[in-house]
Amino acid sequence: MGLQARPGSRAGWHGMESALNAIFEVLSFGAIIVLVVLGLGIIASMMGIFNFAHGEFVLLGAYTTYLVHGAGLPVWAGMLAAPVVVAACGFVLERLVIRRFYAAPIAAMLGTYALGLVIRESVRGLIGGLYISVPEPIVGSLIIGGVQVSRWRLAIVIITTLVMVGSYLLLTRTSFGLRVRAALENPSLARASGISTNAIYAITFTFGAALAGLAGALVVPVFSLFADLGIRFLIQGFVAVMLGGVGTFEGPVAGGAVIGVMSAALPWAVAPVLADVLVFVLAIVFVKFRPGGLIAGRRF
Amino acid sequence: MADSSVSQAYRSVPRPRRIPVIPIVELALLLILSVLPLILEDYLTIFVTRVLILALLALSFDLVWGYAGILSFGQALFFGSAGYSIALLARDLGITSIFIVLPASFVIGLFVALTLGGFLLLGRHPPTTIFVALGTLTGSYAADRLARGWYYLGGQNGIPGIPAMTAGSYAIVEGPVYYYLAFATLVLVYLLCRFLVRSQFGLALAGMREQEARIAFFGYRVQHLKVIVFSLAGAIAGLAGGLYAFHEGFVGPNMPGVIFSTQIVLYALLGGVGTLIGAVIGVIAVEIASFWLADNYQQVWPIILGLLLLLIILFRPSGLVGLLVSERERVGAFGRPPRTLPRIAQEGGEEDQHAAP
Amino acid sequence: MDAGSGYRDAAPMISRRRFLRSAVWAGGAITTGIGSWVIRPEWASAAGPIKVGIATDLTGAAGYAGNADANVAKMVVKDINNAGGILGRPVELFIEDTASNESIAVGNVRKLVQRDKVDVVLGGITSSMRNAIKDVIVTRGKTLYIYPQQYEGRECTSYIFCSGPTPAQQCDDLIPWLIKNGGKRFALPSANYVWPHATNEYVRKIIEKNGGEVIFEEYYPPDQVEYSATVNKIMTNNVDVVFNTVIPPGVGPFFKQLYEAGFGKRGGRLSCIYYDEGALAINAAHEIEGLATCLDYFRVLTKEDPVSARIQAEYDREFPGGALFAAGSAATGMYRGLKLWEAAVKEAGKLDRDAVAGALDHAKIAEGPGGPAEMVPGKHHCKMKMYTAVAKEGNYEIVGRSEGLVDPKAC
Repeated sequence: MGLQARPGSRAGWHGMESALNAIFEVLSFGAIIVLVVLGLGIIASMMGIFNFAHGEFVLLGAYTTYLVHGAGLPVWAGMLAAPVVVAACGFVLERLVIRRFYAAPIAAMLGTYALGLVIRESVRGLIGGLYISVPEPIVGSLIIGGVQVSRWRLAIVIITTLVMVGSYLLLTRTSFGLRVRAALENPSLARASGISTNAIYAITFTFGAALAGLAGALVVPVFSLFADLGIRFLIQGFVAVMLGGVGTFEGPVAGGAVIGVMSAALPWAVAPVLADVLVFVLAIVFVKFRPGGLIAGRRF
Repeated sequence: MADSSVSQAYRSVPRPRRIPVIPIVELALLLILSVLPLILEDYLTIFVTRVLILALLALSFDLVWGYAGILSFGQALFFGSAGYSIALLARDLGITSIFIVLPASFVIGLFVALTLGGFLLLGRHPPTTIFVALGTLTGSYAADRLARGWYYLGGQNGIPGIPAMTAGSYAIVEGPVYYYLAFATLVLVYLLCRFLVRSQFGLALAGMREQEARIAFFGYRVQHLKVIVFSLAGAIAGLAGGLYAFHEGFVGPNMPGVIFSTQIVLYALLGGVGTLIGAVIGVIAVEIASFWLADNYQQVWPIILGLLLLLIILFRPSGLVGLLVSERERVGAFGRPPRTLPRIAQEGGEEDQHAAP
Repeated sequence: MDAGSGYRDAAPMISRRRFLRSAVWAGGAITTGIGSWVIRPEWASAAGPIKVGIATDLTGAAGYAGNADANVAKMVVKDINNAGGILGRPVELFIEDTASNESIAVGNVRKLVQRDKVDVVLGGITSSMRNAIKDVIVTRGKTLYIYPQQYEGRECTSYIFCSGPTPAQQCDDLIPWLIKNGGKRFALPSANYVWPHATNEYVRKIIEKNGGEVIFEEYYPPDQVEYSATVNKIMTNNVDVVFNTVIPPGVGPFFKQLYEAGFGKRGGRLSCIYYDEGALAINAAHEIEGLATCLDYFRVLTKEDPVSARIQAEYDREFPGGALFAAGSAATGMYRGLKLWEAAVKEAGKLDRDAVAGALDHAKIAEGPGGPAEMVPGKHHCKMKMYTAVAKEGNYEIVGRSEGLVDPKAC
C-alpha cells in the first residue's frame, strides 16, 4: 500500500462521516452485547438462575476459534465450530451440574461461579496466560457513505441481526417455540400441561451457551484471546439482564441494547474512565426504582 | 392425659451429652496462632500476617451472609476504599500514625457500606437477594474501574511505596510486631462478632435468616437490621483494608475489584458460613494449600480450587467446618430444648418452610 | 506472538508457559512456590552461590516480553557459570512471575528478597510494575534493583539502576525524523499511568521545539479495547503522526482499528517506542506497516555487527520458537544489566550492596547487543547506541543511527 507523506493535504473526516462512523461502531459493539445477553437472559428468565459461568462460554467460543485456526483450518471454520462445541459443553454441564441448582438460585450463582473459575483457569493454563491475536475471516474495509468501515465489524452486525431474527421467529412461529415460551412464563402450569420442562430447560441452556459461544467467536479477532475475556462480558451481561427485565424475550434484548449502546457511545461524550463507571451506576439506580426492569415480564 | 404423655415422651427422649466442638476449635486456633511467630522464620510470619488480615475480611463476609442472609459480592469494595483512602492519607498528608489510621479505615468502611447498603436495602420494595448480590458486585466493579482510570489514585499503578505505620516514633514494620497487631485486631473483632450474634440482636438475625416474613410480622424492622449488619461488616472490611495497605506497602485497583470480592466469598464458603470460625478456617486452609500445593501444580491449583468449591457447594454446603462440627451446633440452638415431641408430625407443614429457597 | 496466525513462518503451536517449563526443566531447574523457578548451577564453591533474582511478567498482557527476559537471564547466567562464575562462585538464578499484575507481583517479589535472599533483582517491564516492586526490593528488602526496560526516566532512587533507554535517547532523534517523514500534526493517545504521562511531557517539548503541534493528548484505561472515538478524532483532525503510548492489551485493537479506518492509506505515520520484533505477537504486519521507532537494537543489525550476531544466534539456538530477543521487550536491557552487574561485582570484589552499587555506578561493557554500554557516574542510567527504524512487512529497516553512545540525560 502506498505510504506517501503529504503533510497538510490530507482530507479528513467531516461531521457526517464522523457521525456515521460513530453510529456504526456503536451498533457493532451493541450487537455483541445483545448476543451475549440474550443467552444469559433466556436462562435467567426460564430457570430463574443467573449463570455466572456464561462469560466463560464466551471465552470457550473464542478459544475454540483459536484452536481450529491453529490446526490450520480457516478462521471462519472455527467460527462455525464454536457455537456447536460450546453448545455441546453447555449441554453436558447442564445435565451434570446446572440442573441441581434450579431450585436454589443462590447456590446456582455460587456454583456456576466456581464452574466458571474452573473453565477460566483451564483456558489460562492452556494458552500460557498470554494474549493471542486471531485474525478476522474478512480483512479490510468498505467505503460506505464516504466512511471507511471495517468489513468484519459489518459482518458482526449482520450476523447478529440474523441470529436475533432467527431466534425470534423460532420462539414465536414454531410449536417448539410455543412450548419454550410456556415454560418461560409459567413453569408449573407448563409442566401440568404435559410439557417436559426438563427437556426444555436442557435445550434452552444449550441454546444460550451456543449464543455465547458464537459471540466469543465473532469478537475474538477484535479483542484478541486472553483468559479474562469472559469476565468483562459477565458483569455487563448481568446488569443488562437486570435492566431489561426477565420473563420475556424482548427484555434481555432491550437491556443488552441499552447497555451496549451506552458503553460504546458514552466515551464519545465523557472521559472514558467516567463512562465505564457511569453505565453501571445508572443501570443499578434504574433497577432500584423500577425493579421489573425496562420490560417487566415476571418480577425477579 | 395429654400432658403426662407429653412429659413422659419428653423425659424418655434420650439427651446425649454433646461436647461443643466450636469453642474447642476456636481455642486451639487461638493458641496455635499466638505462638507461630516464635517458631516460624520472618518470611513465613509475614505470610501468615497477610492471611490473618484476609481472615478479617472473610469474617466480614460471614457476618453478612451467614448471619443476615445478604449475599454481598462487594466486601472488597470497602476493603479497597479504606485501603486507598489510607494510602492517600499517607502519601499526601504524611499521616501514618496507627492511632489515626486504623480508626479512620474503620470509619471509612462503615461510611461506604452505609451508603451502599442504604441505597440497596432500604426503600419501598424490599430487594431480592439477587438484586443485592448484583448491586454489590456492580459496586465492586465500578470501584475497580474508577481506581484503574483515575490518575490521582495512581491509575494502573496503584499507590506504591506506602511508608510504614508508626506509633509515636516507633515504626511498625512487617514481621512479628505487625503479626501481633493483626492478630490482636482479629481476636478483638472476632470476639465482638461472637458477642453480637449470641445476643438479642443475634437472635433477631437468626429469625430473619430463617423466615424473614415472620420476623417482620413480629415488628422487627428487617431492612434496618440488614443495613446495620451490612455497615458493621463494611467497617470490619475497611479495617482490614487499612491493615493490608500498610502491611503490603501497596494498594492497587485489584483491591476493590470483583475477582478479589468473589475470592473472599469462596474462602468463606469453603470454610463454612454461619459459624464465624468457619471463615477464618477457610482462609487459612486455602492460603496454606495455595502456598504448598502450588509448588508443582501452579497452573492446576486454581482449577483444583474451583472444582473443590463446586463440590462443596453441590454436596456439602456447610463447608470444612461442617466436617468437624455437627449440624445442630453449627446452626445454633440458643439454649432451647430439642423439639422431639410427638406434636412435630402435625407441624410437618411448617417445618417444610424452613428449607431456604 | 501466536502460533499459526499465518503472519509468521511456521511457529509451532506450543503454549508459551509449557515451553518455558520444559526449557527450565532441561536446564535442571526446580519449581518452588507459585510461578517461581530456581536454576541451580552445576558446580559449587565453598563460599556458596551468588544469587540473582529475576521478577518479570511470564504471563498476562506483557507475557511476550517477560518470557524473553527470563530466557535472556538464563542464557547469560549459563554463560557466566560456564566461564567460571563470578569471583570463583557460581550464580544461582531465581525467577518469579509478576503476572502483569502489580498485587501478585508484590507478593512474589517478597519471596525473592525475604525467602531466597537474592543479591540483586532484575526485572519489571511496565513502569507501574517497577513502581510497585521497587519499594519491596530496595527499601524493605535492602537489595539492589536493576530495571531493564525503556521508560520515562526520572528514576533516581539510590540502589536502583536502569539499563534501558530514556526518552532523551529514544525521542531526541526520532521526533525530528517523524516531522520530516510524517508531518507536523501529532496525536498522543496514551494509557493512563506514569510512563505515558511522563513521556508525553518530554515528547511535547521536543515536538514543539522542532516546529510540530500536538493536536490532542488523551489517556485511557490500559485494558480498554474500544478506540472508535479516538480513531475518529485522529481522522477528523487530519493528524499526521500518531505517537502512541497505549500498551497491551489495548494497543493491538487500537492499531487494528486505526488501520481499518484508513489512517495508513492516507499517509499517516504511526510511532510507538516500545514496538519491536516481538510486537508482531500483538498486531499483524500490515496493521503496523511503516511504524517508526527508536531503540537500542534491531535484529537486522546482526548483518553488520558481529557481537549482536553472536548474541542473537546464541539466543535463537537456545530458545527456538520462543519469545523473541528484542529491544522493546527489555531483553536487551536485561542482557546489558546482567553484564554490567557482573562487571561491577568483579570490580568490587564482594557482594555487599554498597560496594557493588559503587562499582555499578561507573561500570562499562565493551560488548552488548547493538553496541557497548557505559553507566554515567552518579546518574544511574547508561549510554548506549540508538537506532531509528521503520517496520516493513514485519521486519525493521534502520533509517537512522546515533553517532556513538547517546547520553541518557537523566537524573
